[in-house]
Amino acid sequence: MSHSAMELDHRRSALIERWRNRTRARATSPQFLVSIALLAVLVYLVLVPLAQLIWRTFSWGEGDRRLSRSAVEGEITGFHWTEAFTGPSANAMLFEPLANSLITGLFAAVFALLLGGVLAWVVTRTDMPGTNWMRPLLIIPYVVPSFAIALAWETLFKSPRIGGSPGLYESVLGFGPPEWLAYGPVPIIITMTIHYFPFAFLLICGALASLDSQLEECAEIQGASRWTILRKITFPIIAPAFAAAAILTFGKTIGTFALPFLLGQPVQYATLATRLFSSLNQGLTALGYILALVLIAITALAVYGGSRALGGNLNRFETIGGKGFKGQPTRLRNWRWPIFATTAVVALVVAVFPLLLLAYQTVMLVDGYYGFDNLTLHYWFGESNPDLAEGEPGLVHNEVILGATWITLKLAFISASLCSLVGLVIGYIVVRGRGGWIAKLLDQISFAPFLFPAIAFAAMYLSLFAEQRGPIPALYGTFTLLVLISVVNRLPYGVRTGAAAVTQIGRELEEAAEIQGASWMRRFREIILPLATSGLVAGMLVSFVGVMRELSLIILLITPSTRVLMTVGFRYAEEDQVQLGNALILLVTVLTLAGQYLVWRLGKGRLARLRERSI
Amino acid sequence: MEATIEIRDLTKRFGKVVALDQLSLTIGQGEFLVLLGPSGCGKTTLLRSLAGLETPDEGEISIRENVVFSAPRGISVAPGDRQVGMVFQSYALWPHMKVKDNIGFGLRVKKIPSQEVEARVTTVLDDMAMEGLGERYPSQLSGGQQQRVALARLLATRPPVFLMDEPLSNLDARLRIDMRSELKRLHHDTGATTVYVTHDQSEAMTMASVVVVMNEGRIQQMAPPDEIYRQPANIFVAGFIGMPRINLMAAQTLDDGRARFEGGDFTLPAPGAPPNAKVFVGARPEDVLLSLEPMDDAVEFQVYAVLPAGPETIVQIRRGDVTLFARETGQLGLVMDQSVWVRFDPSAINIYDEASGELVAPEGKRPQDANFQLADGGGAV
Repeated sequence: MSHSAMELDHRRSALIERWRNRTRARATSPQFLVSIALLAVLVYLVLVPLAQLIWRTFSWGEGDRRLSRSAVEGEITGFHWTEAFTGPSANAMLFEPLANSLITGLFAAVFALLLGGVLAWVVTRTDMPGTNWMRPLLIIPYVVPSFAIALAWETLFKSPRIGGSPGLYESVLGFGPPEWLAYGPVPIIITMTIHYFPFAFLLICGALASLDSQLEECAEIQGASRWTILRKITFPIIAPAFAAAAILTFGKTIGTFALPFLLGQPVQYATLATRLFSSLNQGLTALGYILALVLIAITALAVYGGSRALGGNLNRFETIGGKGFKGQPTRLRNWRWPIFATTAVVALVVAVFPLLLLAYQTVMLVDGYYGFDNLTLHYWFGESNPDLAEGEPGLVHNEVILGATWITLKLAFISASLCSLVGLVIGYIVVRGRGGWIAKLLDQISFAPFLFPAIAFAAMYLSLFAEQRGPIPALYGTFTLLVLISVVNRLPYGVRTGAAAVTQIGRELEEAAEIQGASWMRRFREIILPLATSGLVAGMLVSFVGVMRELSLIILLITPSTRVLMTVGFRYAEEDQVQLGNALILLVTVLTLAGQYLVWRLGKGRLARLRERSI
Repeated sequence: MEATIEIRDLTKRFGKVVALDQLSLTIGQGEFLVLLGPSGCGKTTLLRSLAGLETPDEGEISIRENVVFSAPRGISVAPGDRQVGMVFQSYALWPHMKVKDNIGFGLRVKKIPSQEVEARVTTVLDDMAMEGLGERYPSQLSGGQQQRVALARLLATRPPVFLMDEPLSNLDARLRIDMRSELKRLHHDTGATTVYVTHDQSEAMTMASVVVVMNEGRIQQMAPPDEIYRQPANIFVAGFIGMPRINLMAAQTLDDGRARFEGGDFTLPAPGAPPNAKVFVGARPEDVLLSLEPMDDAVEFQVYAVLPAGPETIVQIRRGDVTLFARETGQLGLVMDQSVWVRFDPSAINIYDEASGELVAPEGKRPQDANFQLADGGGAV
């Protein structure tokens, strides 16, 4: 063997040796074992359901004999896809809903962005008065369940011509509203805009708050007008954040279920999400799953395509930004009060008016008759009365509602806690894993649920957990399944929150414990967990609120024994039991607002200060 | 001296960057060894490798006769089992724990009964002159007090080896000077072998019993502080140590024991230098002797700038392209552009080979300590 060959051989064996030593050291560390376990669980809860969903669209399933006589259960077929895209009902089942989804989703996203952007600028960067109380008010439409706004809209505009009792509009004016204003794309776009603009508002507020006002002041000193500064300085700087907000908002609007269902169904206006729901209800499983895949594809395309276009800097997403605004606000001068009045009216109309409308309706004995003699508290406090509401007792005596309240709180609490804890562990591995392959995989997979519109995600779980698979029992209809899907659905947020919390904890704090001989488990328990708590509690409450008002994620998975408030409310709304439905929505709203208030207090209170100290 | 820490052929790479390059080092019992070098020289990586917070790619480390790391044998002892204590740059005090819980943490990990933990924490607090601060949280303490808590936490477990990663860099200038004395005293009282990382040369000079100057993952010189200053082993050490910088002048040695300086039109004695070689002549500012009158073997320079600094004055002088710094005691009545006559203290100048950058004269002054070797086989002198 020549000298250089020997050298090479020596080097190679040294390399192999080094790799082996490293691997051995790593493979036995608890951190590695936890990572692998989490990876396995996530693969099963995120990737397998997707694979299962895809598989189902390429094979014959139970009950498909109705569709084709040649169907043999379990065999591969391209029938579902051909039928969905080229069949006689392809237009009604796929293309029209697709077009409707794109139209309502795009318009709502654009309007939400414009409204949210303008409000964000006014609230964070000008000297408009009243921003303190206006800011939380403007978040309310996003905190309340989405279909509260749909119900308020119906209350305002419904007409006996379409069904049910007259709305406020007709009662006041004496004639019914035009149909396009009551149902269909226009109200869907408007209500979606109202529901989602706070989302864009928060994202853009975050970007604006971190913008250094000196950049603007510098332009001002050089003589630029306010409009020029806005156009040439402010906007270009926050444009990437703005674009990211646009993509994320569109990702939300496109997959919305409850709003288009309540305001579109009565006039047979379907979107992908609502068609997916009704397909599954009609037993058209494969078609429903295809619609789910189309929805996922659009979202993934928007998010990944958008992220590429922005140079990979989508910044994922931000939750409520806690950064204080530094620097000089823009002076509005003569415009100060007119802008204040406009903003205040908008805030009241979108945040307070819908809730007042719903509240008023719950105390009407007969729906649609606006007179003092029609007032009653029956729907809140009344005992069961066979003449009223088909014998359903009022809210406080209603076994179904009380049971659902308990299940809802339990579900929200367990899911939020689990999600925060798992999110912290994954966030820890992602942050401290120094870009190892496990860390990267965990990061990617835990983000994936963000791309699954809730109703499509539910369809995936429906398909995976409908029957027993190996050691995993059929979880359909169990509370466990609701917890699982709620946790995984919120995991992208949980991991972000956890990662942010871990990032704030200096590495040396942990190493100091390591030097003293503390094991990984002990370090996690005694150093990471206590220091991350304040950040996690806020994140946990956000999840708590999110799970509580979630409908589309669980509506497919619910059975009578696991009903939650939102699904009960949805059923009342469907059955036109408006007063009870509204009362229930108000109950959820109060609970979510209370949760949101706590989040807000935490962000300002003692815990936040403690957190800042530990950085 | 008995060795506490043995490091053999340690190599650590971060991607393509070589942080430690086949580094070998022996640290004697009770030594106060300071690792000094510019940022990125590998000193912190070396310290963290000793602590076990970093896993090197090659080489071996033993601490007090125990092999704690060996790449060929696949040994990597956990940081907690290496008999070392560490003070971090940020102090790394746990903000959610009271001072006494911070200090007692390591003892609790070692499952020492809580009464004894309590007693030892109290003792350490007393020793560090922090009686009564045990119930406070770190955020309620001043920077200096936080530093003491970090030291107290190190002392509580009584490790035989102290590792310190720039522990004073977060303190303000005055406190830093005070803490230097404290740390020296602590080292004296405990007798613990101490490895101390800093980029601050005055810290290294004032505190070390041995200084190790590092650059690009290699040891440039290992010697007591005075030797590091007086006889820098190569141009890097010469240039890195000393403020203002050492005067390094490119020169050509002649047959008669003198050297002709480039960029200037003069020759000066260069005792001990090999004849007819390209060299650098190094002279510390205080070894540049100024005279207001012409004298033998002195060359005329012009004053370029005068920088008085209290007890001493730094004078920048020029002749042709040659610019030198001189350090004079007291206040001089020099004015700009005036002429001065310059000699070098012949016993103090060092001469370096231009190509290798190694010290060539004065001969024999080079430390012959076998405790370290330059990785590139630098024993060529």
